[in-house]
Amino acid sequence: MPGGMFERYEQLAGPDEMFDRDGSIRPAYRAFAERLAHWDVAEYHLRQSRADLALLNAGITFTVYSDEQGTERIFPFSLIPRIIGSREWAHVEAGLIQRVRALNLFLLDVYNAQRSIRDHVVPAEVVFGAPEYSLRMVGFEPPLGVYAHIAGVDLVRDQNERFVVLEDNLRTPSGVSYVLENRTVMVRVAPDVFPPHGVAPVNDYPSRLLAMLLEVRPPHVTEADCRVVILTPGIYNSAYFEHSFLAQQMGVPLVEGVDLVTHNERVYLRSTSGLEPVHVIYRRVDDAFLDPLAFRADSMLGVTGLMSAYRAGNVTVTNAVGTGIADDKVVYRFVPDIIRYFLNEEPLLPNVETFAATVPEEREFIRRHARELVIKPANASGGYGVLIGPQASDDRIAETLAAMDAEPRQWIAQPLQEFSTIPTFQDDGLHARRADLRPYILTGASTWVLPSALTRVALRAGSYVVNSSQGGGSKDTWVLTDDDELDEADTPSSTATTGTDAASPSRSSSQSSSQSSSQSATG
Amino acid sequence: MMLSRIAESLYWLGRQLERAENVARMVHVDYHASIESGALVGHVPRTWDALIAATGAGDSFVKAQAEDPGRSPADFLVLARDNPNSIRSIVGRARELARTLRPHISREVWEEINTLHLSLNRRTSVSEYELYDLCGSIKRSIETVFGLYDNTVLFDEGREWFRCGLFIERTDMTSRILDTKYHLLLPTALEVGGPLDRYQWGAILRSASAWEAFRKGGRGEISGTRVASMLLFSSDFPRSARFCVRALLRHFGNATELTPPPQRVGPQRLITILDLDLAAMDIRRAMAIGLHEYLDTLQSRLIEIDRALANDIFRALPESV
Repeated sequence: MPGGMFERYEQLAGPDEMFDRDGSIRPAYRAFAERLAHWDVAEYHLRQSRADLALLNAGITFTVYSDEQGTERIFPFSLIPRIIGSREWAHVEAGLIQRVRALNLFLLDVYNAQRSIRDHVVPAEVVFGAPEYSLRMVGFEPPLGVYAHIAGVDLVRDQNERFVVLEDNLRTPSGVSYVLENRTVMVRVAPDVFPPHGVAPVNDYPSRLLAMLLEVRPPHVTEADCRVVILTPGIYNSAYFEHSFLAQQMGVPLVEGVDLVTHNERVYLRSTSGLEPVHVIYRRVDDAFLDPLAFRADSMLGVTGLMSAYRAGNVTVTNAVGTGIADDKVVYRFVPDIIRYFLNEEPLLPNVETFAATVPEEREFIRRHARELVIKPANASGGYGVLIGPQASDDRIAETLAAMDAEPRQWIAQPLQEFSTIPTFQDDGLHARRADLRPYILTGASTWVLPSALTRVALRAGSYVVNSSQGGGSKDTWVLTDDDELDEADTPSSTATTGTDAASPSRSSSQSSSQSSSQSATG
Repeated sequence: MMLSRIAESLYWLGRQLERAENVARMVHVDYHASIESGALVGHVPRTWDALIAATGAGDSFVKAQAEDPGRSPADFLVLARDNPNSIRSIVGRARELARTLRPHISREVWEEINTLHLSLNRRTSVSEYELYDLCGSIKRSIETVFGLYDNTVLFDEGREWFRCGLFIERTDMTSRILDTKYHLLLPTALEVGGPLDRYQWGAILRSASAWEAFRKGGRGEISGTRVASMLLFSSDFPRSARFCVRALLRHFGNATELTPPPQRVGPQRLITILDLDLAAMDIRRAMAIGLHEYLDTLQSRLIEIDRALANDIFRALPESV
């Protein structure tokens, strides 16, 4: 069992991933905890500095623009992993597959037959009133009917110790390269704490991604002839590392808008041997910048004529244009109904309770309970305009409610989530820090979930903000593969079967006071 | 198949790395040579000026010194951010290129370039006694990149462009190293063939990593004619202009096997003619033209080749599909 380092570990109000409420180590963490037991402060520092150096040398950094010297910082890497047992993961996996399948069916429907709108599954004004709804996609069916080829779904473990969906990211979700790099670093600096039967490997992702991209190629192109490219906004994009990483791992060209030209509704890349045809574009450029002819005329990042080539079926764009309608924050409110309607199944992963101001009764509820809710604009990200009811002034609440009444489509509200913590080494000790979970889901002919995820962790005490742009870090995420003997006690809601020794952490009763303004701004 | 933009970046990655290595080697050797040789003439020769002039930064150093008379030439050559030809600036550019080229180079190559960049970026100053070790480690690091490139990256079109960049830059830098002699205090008639003269030509050999090769080639006593002859026209010394242009021709041919002829012929003609000229030339005729003038022409022709590559191949707009 972990030694002295955990003696003073204090849990927060929400659940902890490593310890249950009594301070016993949860089954998924047991083998790890035994191996970790001999680490003292010096050992933690040693491992941490080796991890930081490895990330720095590998160039997994972002530039601090305000610094004239162009200093580069690494995304903070936190040593203690998130560990998920195989049985619980199977449940999460099934829930994600279900959700992404339903969202793809919904997308096909809203751009074609629109049955779900006629049947009032989602109000018409919610769909057609959203800026993400793309008229350029109406009446067009992409190959295999897939829109959200690559999805990243943000989950948190709530007060009831269940994983709930906080947000769907269906446009160009980023972060998967950190999943792979975090594992590389973890294996390098802490090989001695991996469990005896190992952890589900992650390095399969690039080949799965490439296979999926080939599956959704235009039907008239053979697999052998099919050329896949990644389209990046360029080196100054904050996710450039990921774009180049994936291109390198898949062995496909990484292109910028200037590298591509269209001719007769076909897309080509400019090579030293002339123009070469392109069939599948994994774009990491937003819809609005994709084609200056179809969208923003001032875009320098896109490819003129791309939309025509796409609609002519000569090139596949992933994720599909217009996919954003399915990860809109108001549409999110209706996803459980979407799952029931299209699949005739109950959702396996619940939503966070959400009230949409566009529904009159819910608007009324938000007005009456504004003090207890987090009220957010539907189309903003990064935490802008978010109102934390319990902490807000009367004026601020009145102001937000007035804005809500003026434009109900633009507002939603949710109860504040006390999501789970993971021990995190900081300032010579281990502290409970809140963390979310973003698994990655690929959909081509079938749907596949990477058996790991990006675990982002808030590095400030009591914070709910896990965004890297706001000082968050990340952790390696282990899905156990051979822990059948633990299954009995695997799900967090079941009772722990063994106690621990004197190293049991004490439970802190003090609820954090520094609740952030953007607890679900995890984009 | 290779993206034109990527081909150009690989070509420039080869150029920048080779340039940084050469500047490091020049500082490594010439600076110390000048300290020692000062004893031979009773004053320290203005080696720094020659070195800075050879990197093409002469004017900007004069300006920098006008603003700050205490400006250290060592710092200006190695670490200055306001000198685009300081080793740090060149390595910084190579590293930015490598960042755009991540999918085309191996992790090992990237990490070596990145580590070198980070270590230079962390330094705030370099004192004279550190200069030797610092330049030595920069040299080794870049040679490591070249070795890793050969042993971990595909032998495809991209490598051919990388080698094109490396060899055109090496030709240019070898001619510049040779030209530093012109920028040094011109020796009086008495000094030609004297100890200082021999010493300076020896330093040039060492700057071009040619000392052992020169000795081994049985080329006798060090003299300007013999050193210049080897650095320009040797067919088997891998840093001579003739050798490098021959290599450039070969790598260019490999790189453009699939390039449509209208795009390829311009640069091909220029490289071929330069290759033939170097094979037909000898040191006596070059001396008759004047060594400095001959080197000047050589550098202009390299610039012409570089422009043809950019206009005809890297940035050409194909007319039809």
